[in-house]
Amino acid sequence: MTKTKKFSALQVGIVWQRLNGLLDETAHVFVRTSFSSVVRDNWDFAVCLMDSNGRLFAQSSRSIPSFIGSMPRTLKIMLKRFPKETLSPGDVMISNDGYYGTGHLNDITMIRPVFRDGKLIAFLGSVFHSVDIGGAPSVTARDSFEEGLTIPVSKILIKGIRNEDVIAFMTDNLRAPEETFGDIGAQFSAYELGIKRLIKILDDEQIDDLDMLVEEILGRSEVAMRNAISAIPDGIYSDEIMLDGFDEPLKICCEVSISGSDLSVDFSGTSEQINRPVNSVLNYTIAYSAYAIKCAFDPYTPNNEGSFRPITITAPEGSLLNPLRPAPVWARHLTGHYLPPVIFSALAKLIPDRIIADCGSPVWNVYFSGKLDDGQRFIKMFFMNGGHGARPHEDGPACLSFPSNIATVPLEQFENSVPILIMEKSLIADSGGAGEFRGGQAQRLSFKIISKHPVTMTIRHERVKYPPRGLLGGKDGSAGCDYLNGKIIPAKSRVELKNNDVVTFDTAGGGGIGSPENRSEKKIIQDLKSGAVTKEAVKRDYAFIEKGVS
Amino acid sequence: MSDNYRLGVDIGGTFTDLVMVNDNNGRLFDEKVLTTPDDPSLGVIEGVKNILEKNNVQASKLKHIIHGTTLVANAIIERRGSKVALITSQGFRDIQEIGTESRYDTYDLFMKIPAPLVTRQWRFEVPERIGPDGQVITKLDESSVVNVARAIASSDIDAVAVSLIHSYQNPVHERQIREILQRELPDIIVCISSDVMAEIGEYERTSTTICNAYVLPTFTRYLARLTRSLHDLGVGRDLYLMLSDGGTVHESTAAIYPIRLVQSGPAGGVQAAAAINKVITNNDNQGNILCFDMGGTTAKACLVENGKPMHANEFEVARIFRGKKGSGIPLKIPVIEMIEIGAGGGSIAHLDNLGLIQVGPESASADPGPACYGMGGLNATVTDADLILGYLDANNFLGGDMQLDVEASKTAVKNTIADPLGLSVVDAAWAIHETVNESMAQAAAIHALEKAKRITDYSMIPIGGAGPVHACNIALKLNLSTLICPPGAGVASALGFLVSPTSFTTLQGGVVSLSQLNFKTLKKQILEMEEQGRNLITEAMESKDDVDVEILASMRYIGQGYNVEVEIPKSVLSSQNISEIQQLFEVVYLTQFGRIESHMAIEIVSWRVVTSGPTPTIDLAKARVGVQSDNYKKGERQVYFGCKNDFISTPIYERSKLEIGQKFEGSAIFEERESTIVVPPRSNSYVDKALNLIINLPIKDEAELS
Repeated sequence: MTKTKKFSALQVGIVWQRLNGLLDETAHVFVRTSFSSVVRDNWDFAVCLMDSNGRLFAQSSRSIPSFIGSMPRTLKIMLKRFPKETLSPGDVMISNDGYYGTGHLNDITMIRPVFRDGKLIAFLGSVFHSVDIGGAPSVTARDSFEEGLTIPVSKILIKGIRNEDVIAFMTDNLRAPEETFGDIGAQFSAYELGIKRLIKILDDEQIDDLDMLVEEILGRSEVAMRNAISAIPDGIYSDEIMLDGFDEPLKICCEVSISGSDLSVDFSGTSEQINRPVNSVLNYTIAYSAYAIKCAFDPYTPNNEGSFRPITITAPEGSLLNPLRPAPVWARHLTGHYLPPVIFSALAKLIPDRIIADCGSPVWNVYFSGKLDDGQRFIKMFFMNGGHGARPHEDGPACLSFPSNIATVPLEQFENSVPILIMEKSLIADSGGAGEFRGGQAQRLSFKIISKHPVTMTIRHERVKYPPRGLLGGKDGSAGCDYLNGKIIPAKSRVELKNNDVVTFDTAGGGGIGSPENRSEKKIIQDLKSGAVTKEAVKRDYAFIEKGVS
Repeated sequence: MSDNYRLGVDIGGTFTDLVMVNDNNGRLFDEKVLTTPDDPSLGVIEGVKNILEKNNVQASKLKHIIHGTTLVANAIIERRGSKVALITSQGFRDIQEIGTESRYDTYDLFMKIPAPLVTRQWRFEVPERIGPDGQVITKLDESSVVNVARAIASSDIDAVAVSLIHSYQNPVHERQIREILQRELPDIIVCISSDVMAEIGEYERTSTTICNAYVLPTFTRYLARLTRSLHDLGVGRDLYLMLSDGGTVHESTAAIYPIRLVQSGPAGGVQAAAAINKVITNNDNQGNILCFDMGGTTAKACLVENGKPMHANEFEVARIFRGKKGSGIPLKIPVIEMIEIGAGGGSIAHLDNLGLIQVGPESASADPGPACYGMGGLNATVTDADLILGYLDANNFLGGDMQLDVEASKTAVKNTIADPLGLSVVDAAWAIHETVNESMAQAAAIHALEKAKRITDYSMIPIGGAGPVHACNIALKLNLSTLICPPGAGVASALGFLVSPTSFTTLQGGVVSLSQLNFKTLKKQILEMEEQGRNLITEAMESKDDVDVEILASMRYIGQGYNVEVEIPKSVLSSQNISEIQQLFEVVYLTQFGRIESHMAIEIVSWRVVTSGPTPTIDLAKARVGVQSDNYKKGERQVYFGCKNDFISTPIYERSKLEIGQKFEGSAIFEERESTIVVPPRSNSYVDKALNLIINLPIKDEAELS
């Protein structure tokens, strides 16, 4: 850790604020000119700035956790193929290799070198989710080749000119190339603005050596994270968590070691990789682990790699969390979303004020595909969140997304687009884990098919066998459950639905925190009144006999 | 004296502002009294008395009173509204509590979610269902409504909100429920969502309906008190109220849709800027305005083009977590679109865990206030920094009514910022000033980008107490060359009420693909909406013919989540020409997103009809009379502008004593009662024909930065 005194706190503060602002502006230009709804509506992308050494020092503020910190590793691999000294202004490198990037082929990373007075001073890059990437990604995929097109590290622009060979390869392998290239083009124009802004900031502030400023930013962020870690006693803290898996349950083992101001997370003992698409490549494992640690230790520092310098994350090769090619990876969130809860539970006794109990995630979704009345095909995805885990000093919110951040679609919009009615969207009684602070309630969603054509439904849900866990004496939330016409169906399945069939999903409830004995009477009565808990559950969980509540 | 007067009254957090115009000669009069939070009508009455007495005007000469108030917003922010019950379709009473399911803060595990205004035991479901096409799938079970009415009868519920799935397509069940409730519970107020805001999106529509019901009883009681007191004063005319979209309505309409008043004050401020914009556009051809309003705890910015502010159809009220977008209650109402930044004069500067300066979102508010107020505040605020830098005069704050303590400011800045960073007090104060300005400039720049506008094409009009102090520095950061500082920036909202037309927006949701548009039904529907609007606005208009009708369609490509607002001329509806509508959409879409998608089908999500009366005008050039005076220069003081790291001796002028055509070179300070205009070195300023102070800043040519 080197420290330079060349920049004042004012200058660092203002310049950093401007740099973060420039990335948010760049992100807005991308959103405004993009076409796909994952970019427009879900902001499923990130824009990053790295210095000439490839160190990430600023990232657009509204990105989802899966993009944390992976771009410097992608850049390193790109620079192996295209060494720095061979790059020219206007070059844009591209790759979607999941093992180099963010864990699945749908995420395309592009990076453009930034030159000032003929000298390479920085890299501006972005990664976005392309809805289609060719192939046939599905829960049945046995290797990554089935999951679509791999774009090896190449240049899509050479000195600002389109590389038609790369573009032709992609065009012929994609189902909706105009949408993907629409988004790619939008990023090219976003880069133009971002680079102009960066140069202007450096000119305005008379900064000749960006790398030195970056070291200052990273150094300060590192110190903040080290201070937070140092405040915690040294030791090794471990826990494990069970995943429903496919035929067999899977297990993630997590060991957090703290030594001085260093923190390491090791996932030795975790199940081996499987030939189903839930393997989480190391970059994705690192992203969700780093996210959890940042949430717990230093949530407010703008995203940069300085915060993660004190942190090491390792997982055995060939395991679910560091699979070897060509393990399939498409639905890696079904594994990755378990990392924050297992890190939190390992640290629960140590920092009980900074963690939350398990949430009802990985996020649930359902795909419906069929035909509209006019014969046109449709594919519709619908997301459903479970209850949020209890917090150290308050109940968990109902149905709040974590660790991903995915909003629900208004049901009136949904019903306007497909021949399916939503019959119910309601909170489930007794779904939040009991505790001094109760877990957030889960929800029930019911869909009724109103189509003369059959509708194919695909689901791949977790937390059905193993419910979200309570912490520090809190009880588990409720497990999820899937029904077809009132009968339970497997949580990972593909079903043909006919007119009037009703499918119902109960998402999982959040875990509680603290012993239920310590829950205040007032809160228990409130829960009874609202119907968040039933009388039977109150008797069972809280040993509380209500007085005067009927 | 046969002169007629109109009066604008704005109740703000601290002051109630009044602006009166003599319609015969265009002269303006101002008045400011303290707001009386327990019963705001008391402050209004005091102000009305004062302004009439001071200017020797009889109450009967008040032809028109337009009123805006924070009462509606405050009732929600402070949760002081009425007790409300909710009736929903079977299966959906929890829509409110579940919300959007998304996090507005990615990293904060403890982000707060606002508690629903209606607790679960007062949320009822009734069997019924309407499909997305408006067809009744399940008929309403009336007996279950009667049962709900009985449960409510034995409670202390004041109002009922009714919001059924797809009621925007077919209101039949909501109307049936209203009938039954009115029969069973004659004393209870009923608001149905298809009436409050017939827009697609069950969460936002329901939340808007609940909020309307929540504030309605309080608001109507207040209106009754106020109109009675005005009547006692001898004011014979009805009251008009300012809506959030810049239109005004008769009190009887406001009493049905009080939620539409939620942003009435800030809307007035923007309307005033728009009126100034129109005058300036005519004279000096400066088309676009960034209205920048900075007060004690927040700042707001709005883009105005050729006298027309940008509009939006949604608003978020009562943010509960660090002022963050997403932490409040969503409303679907027509509003003037503004961005809000959680920083104002009272915002506290502190060091974060990286040792860097942050300003806000915590605020010293009015009590104890900034350290310089001498009321025990120990934190360094933006106002303290402004005082240290010489922008404010300790002896002339609020026209000298309040003495400021510079030493207290210095101590606060020294202890909390300068010493920990090893900086001088002045450098620390400059750092606070720069930091807060930087975040406001950034927010404005990103807002312009979102709207596909180039911020450098705009001139800034600063209003609010702290606006003119910070405006030039922010404009420099944004590379804006021109500022227009109107006189009376401190009462801009009340002035804005006087230049706002009587106007009402009706809305009808319903998703239709453009290719399947049925012009016959559409025309009938638009006519009905127009009729409703006309009925609501022409009640007190002199000529019923003088109504302007604007038809807007919310449109998008099928499958997209972003709508664009497209104005559809009436003639297009008559010509029944789908391709014309498509072209209109494509023009707007192209401007907004830089491309069109000719292979994609287009759909219409909702229709809005804006019916407006004539826009009242004030000849701003005649509104105020410059005071002939030689002693407009009050002296000089040392002011810090960050250049050469030193204070610069800067002339201080009394704003109210400036005359048309006066010119100033270089740095200057112009003091008014409610605010201070700070002009940096190398600028040129002059007073225009309407007594606006026009400032030309020394900006770099940024033509290449598009």
